[in-house]
Amino acid sequence: MYSALEGGQLRLFNDSEVNAIHSGVVRLLEEVGMKVKSRQALEIFERSGAVVDPVSEIVKIPQTMLAKAIKTAPSKVIIHGREEKNDAVLEKSRVHFGTGGTVMYALDFKSGERRTTNTQDVRDLARLVDALENIAFYVIHTYPADVAEKDVDVNRFYWALTNTTKPIMGGMYTMQGLREAIKISEMVAGGADKLRERPFVSFITLMVSPLVMDWHYTDFLIEVAKKGLPLAVPSEPLAGATSPVTLAATITTNLAETLAGLTLTQLVNPGTPTLIGTTSSIMDMKTGTYVAGAIESSLINAGIAQMAQHYDLPLYATGGQSDSKVHDAQAGYESAAQAMTLGLSGANWIHDAAGLLECCTTVSYEKTVIDNEILGNVLRVLRGVEVTEDTLAIEVIRKEGPAGNFLANPHTAEHFRSEFFIPKISDRWNRITWKENGSLDAHARAHMMAEKILEIHRATPIDPKTRNEIRRMFPGIRGEDLE
Amino acid sequence: MGKYFEEISQNVITAKQDKVKELTQQAIDDGVDPVEIINSGFIPGMNVVGIRFKAGDMFVPEVLMSARAMAAGMDLVKPLLLGREVPSRGKVVLGTVKGDLHDIGKNLVGMMLESAGYTVINLGVDVPATKFLQAVKDSKPDILGMSALLTTTMLGMKDVIELLKEEGVREQVKVIIGGAPISKEFADKIGADGYAPDAGSTTELCHNLIAR
Repeated sequence: MYSALEGGQLRLFNDSEVNAIHSGVVRLLEEVGMKVKSRQALEIFERSGAVVDPVSEIVKIPQTMLAKAIKTAPSKVIIHGREEKNDAVLEKSRVHFGTGGTVMYALDFKSGERRTTNTQDVRDLARLVDALENIAFYVIHTYPADVAEKDVDVNRFYWALTNTTKPIMGGMYTMQGLREAIKISEMVAGGADKLRERPFVSFITLMVSPLVMDWHYTDFLIEVAKKGLPLAVPSEPLAGATSPVTLAATITTNLAETLAGLTLTQLVNPGTPTLIGTTSSIMDMKTGTYVAGAIESSLINAGIAQMAQHYDLPLYATGGQSDSKVHDAQAGYESAAQAMTLGLSGANWIHDAAGLLECCTTVSYEKTVIDNEILGNVLRVLRGVEVTEDTLAIEVIRKEGPAGNFLANPHTAEHFRSEFFIPKISDRWNRITWKENGSLDAHARAHMMAEKILEIHRATPIDPKTRNEIRRMFPGIRGEDLE
Repeated sequence: MGKYFEEISQNVITAKQDKVKELTQQAIDDGVDPVEIINSGFIPGMNVVGIRFKAGDMFVPEVLMSARAMAAGMDLVKPLLLGREVPSRGKVVLGTVKGDLHDIGKNLVGMMLESAGYTVINLGVDVPATKFLQAVKDSKPDILGMSALLTTTMLGMKDVIELLKEEGVREQVKVIIGGAPISKEFADKIGADGYAPDAGSTTELCHNLIAR
């Protein structure tokens, strides 16, 4: 089971820098404003006292409105799991890692070839997440290309809901699909009130950088906020392209955008559980494209995490990715450096942290298992070094004495499992044993582990009656339920 | 009578030393044959420990704690054997070769072997070839295990094997070696019967050599 730990050991800014960034945010929202393309949103902003120019669609958000939204938005958001033990309590600097995307391609588990993703990927990756102890949640990260576009949302949420009891979050493609996803979630919960009480699904909308609220996503945002379900409102400025190249400016732009989204959720429905967010990264100056595995992405995220803690708002953040195309050293070191940075920043809901390759376009089963191991290392660091009378163990040292040996002392048996991270993928045998075991590399070992999980693991099922009811009501759901 | 065995086994596995002692005493008071307590209580428990260790579900310190729980029960049983032999998988003489003072690895091997049901005679560190020879002659072990951590001392293993040959006792005993610089090739070259890359696999090596 995942256990959340405190991050926040990494501090990028002193107090005066925090204030400078905040006043930058206020100036962007008050003086430059957001371009808002949703009619509904323009009306809501206008009604609530923002300065709205209907021709240019520019909305200027006064400081007081922003301050009020920050106040009415909950400082603690619980993203529930279908089973309570998996609830993710997001606040302060409590860290949770999970998947994210959304990608169109997978490295096929059997052939290793890149292919388009399908409903079976949504199902099987959910099971993998359900089984892996260092992954806290399932942000649905594949696009099922084997179903019609109108059925994508309902398929994504159905296969997620039936194959993991960890918290589920996802982006949406159509308004109809969003409503269907909410409907099946309500059926699984046993009613709309029950779902609102313990929402185990939540949604992602987004702002478009720089400083735009698109009509499509903004209408989704309003729909979800009306329902009172949790939602994330991230934005994704790319330093050097859709925000200035300087990281301070990118952080400030990102904050202005996501706080504009937060303001709208609070105007629609004060108290809506909202995660401000970032999926920011940089534009690579050699290729002129977005890159996911850049360490600067993690610096931007860490800076925003510190600001989110300053605002006392939970944060949806991004990290633990690689731009490599294969399971090589680059895939490992980029993912690890990002995940460690994000963990130490104390971001609350760190998505994209498991399974991604190739600039957030490709998912891999083996990489998911390898990332679980990376995250185990990160979580071990976050747990820190416990200092108590028992862990100082002066009496144990006294007993064994100089030239003694602690291996057979009960203190060792009692503590090693909590003091040491016990790897599942790393090979620590000597060369001879490693050779006897087949001279496998990390990728091959991860493949074996994923294979075993996929073969045997089943999430606690939903009520079969409800399941049949859903399948009957939504014939667009495609694929085979596992027994 | 049999009711104690399963519970004793379980408590050996979970390393509940006090519980093992208590149950063993109860069994003794109930008139259970002490040899049966060992064969049907302690050893099946340690067998499970061995299986779990191999599968990676239990770790070295936990195996040692289980062995310690078994030993606590064994202390109660042993005086009652009245000259009957303690059931044992085999006898192993262990030592670190001359000039080498490293003993953690060798001691770990000893503990793992004891926990798997072997009788272990530990000669300590800096053991000269003559002392190994004497132990083979006196104790008649099934297996002689030598350890070395240094490339400068590992050659002493060859001297011991040569001495055993000269004295005509080489065929009486299986010789196994281990330690960081040791390899399968080295073991073959000096005429040892076996080599294990780590303490855990020494147990299996000994099982195989004795079964042969």
